[in-house]
Amino acid sequence: MNPKNNLLVGAIIAVVVVTSYDVGVEPIAFFEGLPNLGIVAKEMTEFESEHWGTAFWAMLETIEMAFVGTIIGVLISLPLSIFAARNISSKFVYAPLRALLAATRTFPSILWAILFVIVVGLGPFAGILAITLYTVGFISKLQYESIEAIDYDPVEATNAIGLSKLQLIRYVIIPESAPHLLSQILYMFDYNVRQTSILGIVGAGGIGFYIINYIKFFEYGKAAVFMLVVLIAVLAIDWASVKIRDRYIMKAEHGRQLKVSN
Amino acid sequence: MENEENKPASISTLSIIQMRDVSASYDSKNAILKNVSMNVHRGTNYAIVGASGSGKSTLLKLMNGMMIPSNGIVLYNYQKPDVKNKSYKKSMAKIGYIPQTLGLVKNSTVMDNVMIGALPRIDGVKSFFKIFPKKEIEYAHDILKLVGLDEKSDRKVHMLSGGEKRRVAIARALMQKPHVLLADEIVSELDSVTAREVMDVIKDAQQKLNLTSIMIHHDMNLALEYANRVAVIKEGEKVLEIGVEGEQIIDFQTGNLTQQEILEMYSESQK
Ligand SMILES: Nc1ncnc2c1ncn2[C@@H]1O[C@H](COP(=O)(O)OP(=O)(O)OP(=O)(O)O)[C@@H](O)[C@H]1O
Ligand SMILES: [Mg+2]
Repeated sequence: MNPKNNLLVGAIIAVVVVTSYDVGVEPIAFFEGLPNLGIVAKEMTEFESEHWGTAFWAMLETIEMAFVGTIIGVLISLPLSIFAARNISSKFVYAPLRALLAATRTFPSILWAILFVIVVGLGPFAGILAITLYTVGFISKLQYESIEAIDYDPVEATNAIGLSKLQLIRYVIIPESAPHLLSQILYMFDYNVRQTSILGIVGAGGIGFYIINYIKFFEYGKAAVFMLVVLIAVLAIDWASVKIRDRYIMKAEHGRQLKVSN
Repeated sequence: MENEENKPASISTLSIIQMRDVSASYDSKNAILKNVSMNVHRGTNYAIVGASGSGKSTLLKLMNGMMIPSNGIVLYNYQKPDVKNKSYKKSMAKIGYIPQTLGLVKNSTVMDNVMIGALPRIDGVKSFFKIFPKKEIEYAHDILKLVGLDEKSDRKVHMLSGGEKRRVAIARALMQKPHVLLADEIVSELDSVTAREVMDVIKDAQQKLNLTSIMIHHDMNLALEYANRVAVIKEGEKVLEIGVEGEQIIDFQTGNLTQQEILEMYSESQK
């Protein structure tokens, strides 16, 4: 390690210490409180198994909300990402649009959920709106970045043929930027299921509603059932998306690699 | 002066592309091409050869208007090529330009890539939904048969070999129903057998579709074999222009030459 790096590491440690003091990090409180965790853990093992059914249906609702929000979000993102790409749109379109998209990503979806609960009332619809909005902000960004990163050769070549802008988008931009889309959607859905699991905390539907209420009334055994269901569902979705990715995305990559060695 | 002005007009009925004293540069400092003049007659197979970096690709970009000269004049069918000019852009639909990098859409199928050549003459809304007139689909298959790729029309382009990719680029250009074909080293990276196969495809298409071609080559032998006129570029200047008629090779400055002599002259010019 060169001296410059040493200095950098030292500086980072110093900043961590100073800011920890500033925000009131108290290691002693952590260790003193550890036994409480023991109590919670013990109570959590006392599952109340009559709740499995409710937990299952609540989780299903959560997944449905995440699914609807993801799909609608993606559908809105596709045209938006084209308007937001610097290599396609004019500055007057992409600059404000990108600012707007950045704003939707600034707040976690739970804050949007609070806002939508105020607008449309309690329930899953508010949650779906929050998830949709967050998905739009995220997928649009990923997508306009991949549009901006596409190979310029086919764009130049087809421009020399005299295609219209719409044809250029349809025949060059979309196919060249789409390959990452499936992988991005899977990632987003995975992420959204986790997000949706906590939206119930603010009354925007889904399984979080039960978890937060049981925890509030110190019924850890009941809460544990619901949390376990979330854990299983998230792991299952994770596993499924790895499978889908392997099957559809790795295969395409593989074909490409084979050609390189040809 | 008046004579000078009249000269190109009298030739232009024969010529499809003319360049007079053309200079070009990417920045305003270094001239990449210096005072190049050439005249490509309709129906000619014109070849341009020269060392790497001599300015061949730049020459081709000037011919189809992707670049405009800093000096001199370029004419394609009486028009000054310029991509930014709306009325000229219409005539670009009839210039089959194959860049050095081919410019294929790698994630699309062979058929979709070939169809791109027909898009300028297809209604925008219909083409958005990939609704094509039956005639165009049949024509695309005819072209694909001509280049020997009809069985692979549904294959994604990134899964093709180098030679096959070049055939797709040729097919896309032919799909334009072009008056002129501009091809930038499409066979340079191929082995000599495949290179000749691809050249034969072009030759075949030329005879069937009656088009003028301007092709850049790395290999002088290949140029002499397929072209009836060869221009040699060196460091941005045209140093030699020869006509080829069967066995006969004519240097327009010194008269008849043998192929051996021309190859010697060529290698001499590259020193
Ligand atoms: N986009 C560009 N910007 C700046 N300079 C360029 C650009 N393209 C080419 N040049 C320069 O112009 C000169 C001629 O380039 P050109 O591509 O015309 O050569 P070429 O004869 O086609 O070479 P090759 O056989 O390697 O393809 C080179 O010196 C190159 O560095
Ligand atoms: Mg070149």
